[in-house]
Amino acid sequence: MAPLCSQLLLLPALALAFSPAAGLEAPGEAEELAAEMVAELRAAGLPGDLPELEPECRRLLTAFAEGSATLSGCLARRARPVRLCQACGGLYRSLLTQYGDIARAVGNSSESHNCAKSILTSDRLQVVVTLSAFFNDTWEAANCANCIKNNSEGLSNSTQEFMDLFNKSLTCFEHNLQGQATDLSPNNYTEVCKNCNGTYKNLNDLYNKLQRLNRHGDESGHSAHLCIDVEDAMNITRKLWSRTFNCSVPCSDTVPVIAVSSFILFLPIVFYLSSFLHSKQKKRILILPKRIQSNASLVNIQEKYS
Amino acid sequence: MANVAKKVSWSGRDPRDDEDERAGETTPLLNGTGPGAAGGARQVRRELPRPYPNEIPHNEKLLSLKYESLDYDNSENQLFLEEERRINHAAFRTVEIKRWVICAMIGILTGLVACFIDIVVENLAGLKYRVVKDNIDKFTEKGGLSFSLLLWATLNASVVMVGSVIVAFIEPVAAGSGIPQIKCYLNGVKIPHVVRLKTLVIKVCGVILSVVGGLAVGKEGPMIHSGAVIAAGISQGRSTSLKRDFKIFEYFRRDTEKRDFVSAGAAAGVSAAFGAPVGGVLFSLEEGASFWNQFLTWRIFFASMISTFTLNSVLSVYHGNAWDLSSPGLINFGRFDSEKMGYTIQEIPIFIFMGVVGGILGALFNALNYWLTMFRIRYIHRPCLQVIEAMLVAAVTAAVGFVMIYCSRDCQPIQGSSVAYPLQVGDQGSETLLEFVALGLAGSPAATLALLWGSPQLPLLTLSFLPFQLFCADGEYNSMATAFFNTPEKSVVNLFHDPPGSYNPMTLGMFTLMYFFLACWTYGLTVSAGVFIPSLLIGAAWGRLFGISLSYLTKGSIWADPGKYALMGAAAQLGGIVRMTLSLTVIMMEATGNVTYGFPIMLVLMTAKIVGDYFVEGLYDMHIQLQSVPFLHWEAPVTSHSLTAREVMSTPVTCLRRIERVGTVVDILSDTSSNHNGFPVVESNPNTTQVVSVVGRSLRGLVPPQVFVERANLSLVQRRLKLKDFRDAYPRFPPIQSIHVSQDERECMIDLSEFMNPSPYTVPQEASLPRVFKLFRALGLRHLVVVNNHNEVVGMVTRKDLARYRLGKEGLEELSLAQT
Repeated sequence: MAPLCSQLLLLPALALAFSPAAGLEAPGEAEELAAEMVAELRAAGLPGDLPELEPECRRLLTAFAEGSATLSGCLARRARPVRLCQACGGLYRSLLTQYGDIARAVGNSSESHNCAKSILTSDRLQVVVTLSAFFNDTWEAANCANCIKNNSEGLSNSTQEFMDLFNKSLTCFEHNLQGQATDLSPNNYTEVCKNCNGTYKNLNDLYNKLQRLNRHGDESGHSAHLCIDVEDAMNITRKLWSRTFNCSVPCSDTVPVIAVSSFILFLPIVFYLSSFLHSKQKKRILILPKRIQSNASLVNIQEKYS
Repeated sequence: MANVAKKVSWSGRDPRDDEDERAGETTPLLNGTGPGAAGGARQVRRELPRPYPNEIPHNEKLLSLKYESLDYDNSENQLFLEEERRINHAAFRTVEIKRWVICAMIGILTGLVACFIDIVVENLAGLKYRVVKDNIDKFTEKGGLSFSLLLWATLNASVVMVGSVIVAFIEPVAAGSGIPQIKCYLNGVKIPHVVRLKTLVIKVCGVILSVVGGLAVGKEGPMIHSGAVIAAGISQGRSTSLKRDFKIFEYFRRDTEKRDFVSAGAAAGVSAAFGAPVGGVLFSLEEGASFWNQFLTWRIFFASMISTFTLNSVLSVYHGNAWDLSSPGLINFGRFDSEKMGYTIQEIPIFIFMGVVGGILGALFNALNYWLTMFRIRYIHRPCLQVIEAMLVAAVTAAVGFVMIYCSRDCQPIQGSSVAYPLQVGDQGSETLLEFVALGLAGSPAATLALLWGSPQLPLLTLSFLPFQLFCADGEYNSMATAFFNTPEKSVVNLFHDPPGSYNPMTLGMFTLMYFFLACWTYGLTVSAGVFIPSLLIGAAWGRLFGISLSYLTKGSIWADPGKYALMGAAAQLGGIVRMTLSLTVIMMEATGNVTYGFPIMLVLMTAKIVGDYFVEGLYDMHIQLQSVPFLHWEAPVTSHSLTAREVMSTPVTCLRRIERVGTVVDILSDTSSNHNGFPVVESNPNTTQVVSVVGRSLRGLVPPQVFVERANLSLVQRRLKLKDFRDAYPRFPPIQSIHVSQDERECMIDLSEFMNPSPYTVPQEASLPRVFKLFRALGLRHLVVVNNHNEVVGMVTRKDLARYRLGKEGLEELSLAQT
């Protein structure tokens, strides 16, 4: 986040300014030191609440604390099956506002500027910044921006459509399963496969369409993902469909494939055999090299030889 | 031939030779310690004149007559000296600047060609895959997958057919990876057509078509050839194929200068292919090291850097993130920088063992390819047969891939779907992996493909994911298909970087086996394609398999990351096949972008080379041999000290006089048996000592009538021939047959003193073969005159005389000359 850099520079200065959490020493020591300092300050007759936050800042901090608690609760509760974006969108937005309140100078005084300073950048740990960063990252990773309307509550139209279809197919699955006796063997789901094929196909197609739109529409290229809710819904359905119900396409035409491929594999054998038998073998004509004995030096050699 | 009778009488004295020769095979020469050493002349084999033409089937112990040497040694004739004297100091500086400009241009153009190949392959392959994939998706539901198979096979075969037709019918020298040809060129062998513009065009188109056609090939090797052609073309400032002469860089129109630029071009090609500029320089060094100096090295490095920079910037613009400069080569191995990819000292023996495996597998690959190539040379020599063969290979490749995918039940969840998000991915934290994951979001393959081709801003690497569902559950993909239904480059990167558990061992095993044979079968087809990537892929597959079994044996130890072993396996396999050492280590190191891997990669490559060399030669050397190219290795064969220049040389020598009758010259030049184009010019002095000179190949272009100094005894010099005339004719001097010489003109005299090299290199006839060899190889000579004690010409040593001695299995062997 933005203050990350400046905070590093600020740290020593703040430590000198008797900030209670100046974290340059070991924690225990710091606490002691702070307590000592407060005591000293009191003794010196300075305003006793100097190390304390302004009431305004305290209020903002509490609001943020509550907001983050609710949001993390929501995220955790909605972790499986993933419904983050639908359920926690509002919470996330309000947390953003709260963080913004702290970071931006909300009031008009220099005090509120101090708020940002003392809450966000006074110490090494920077809990508020870390928390907010965590939420932001999670939100980014979940790609929720993809299925929530811009700047407003509620899912985008396409996502809504997808979710409706998803619920419809789940209902279809349930319905058809109920129709069957529970004691049927787990592999026998032909009923489901037959009856829900249409819905499933629609869902699948819609998902694919969304994906394609997402990629084409999104020129900035930062996300190839749809939002996690949609992805997860699709994943669950697909798993049910292919794994549990075993409705995937069966391996059907082995014989023609084998026939065609063996025909193709047979061709080279014919080719090589026929070219071996019919093609005229290439012959090379040897050239007689001109070597020593055929010349005047022959005499030389012959002398040597004899 | 006047001396035939003598030959007969001579060889009649030695009937044993007669029988040996009749077998048509060369026989090992006796070693220096053998009894023949004392026998002197007995040691030398002779060909016999035979009543019938001596035809033998092609074998590897031949030297083809069609290859000549390049004139790497400047012929210091009068014309040359005059011109050099005219050039002053400032002009030489201009020449030097021109060299740098040319190197920059070589780099830029090579980079652009690489970009072109990359982009076109990317798009065409994508189109093809989309068509086939949609088709397969359709028929998976309805049934009738055999149609998809047919479609795939037909598409592949027809694309490869086009690629093969242009190579087979238009420019056969563009076949293969081109590395053997460039090796030969840098070695000093003139391979016809090898650096022509036409070759470049065919090469580039051919590579694109064969990669798109789904063959088990790569586009990296041909980049080296392309770079070399570009270099040769630019440095000459003209194109004979286009018949355009830009009248620039005329100074560089000779073999010496051209060779320097070609080595720069080859380096630029390597650099563009692998993003390895230093590797490129070292490649040129390794292949052409006998002609080297440090200024040249620096220039070559400059060209390499420019080339990888150009490729980088153009591709970054193409992929939408301009000036990101993160894709330095055609193949990018991705980043190996996470902690898991580190290695410890305990792993070194394991790596060395992998090197041994790589050496053995590489030797097997080469041996199989040897037999196949031999068969091809002997039986599949007609262009149409070659085209059919390439088509068949393409169809079979598709069929094998399809059957493997069809039979595979290895389904893996698509990464990034929230349920199946493997934790390892997060742990590894490598950027590429995350991108990879981000891409492969749960979804139908078609949509992912739409992503693949719809959004160019995604980095190149992420385009490697091609989930293929087939009979897998929705939201899962067939991992065999990822390996097979992909361009090889992408498969390699997948193997390096997919998180552990992406492939099951069975898939990898089958894939390795199939791909090994496919790649072996494919190399040597009449298509332009390289062997680098297929080797890397085979190695990466078995390396990964090795890594998986290792982590299985060690109960999932943290260090046994399969990606690392995939890299070492790839290095081992590649080293085992091509047997390059220095340059390959650096290339691999630069392509992975991780210097710490230098040591294990070096060890692996070393081991692979040592083990592989125990069985057979490297693939490129093998193909050079099979092409009957007179290739000179670094050193003369070790046991050749017993041979002297007298036994090596060709004799008798056709000599010319300084003032020669035109008729004689024309007759000599027209004689096909005197195809070496170097003739000593001898002069009889009062004290019978003969001055030796050599007139080079340029004599061919000389005989146009204006050269005749004495026309009809008028002593009329019509026009002085300048060096420029030779330069304009270079490199294709008109054949003598194209010059009409009338009966009248035949009686004229021609003065050769201007054109001959008055100070040729000579050796006494007692010089040993290694000595002659060293002189010849180090100076890049074309002809070496052998003289006796009286300085009389007794013979000539050319490249073929030296190259025919080779160290075989049973000692020194002699190759025969053959017309091919």
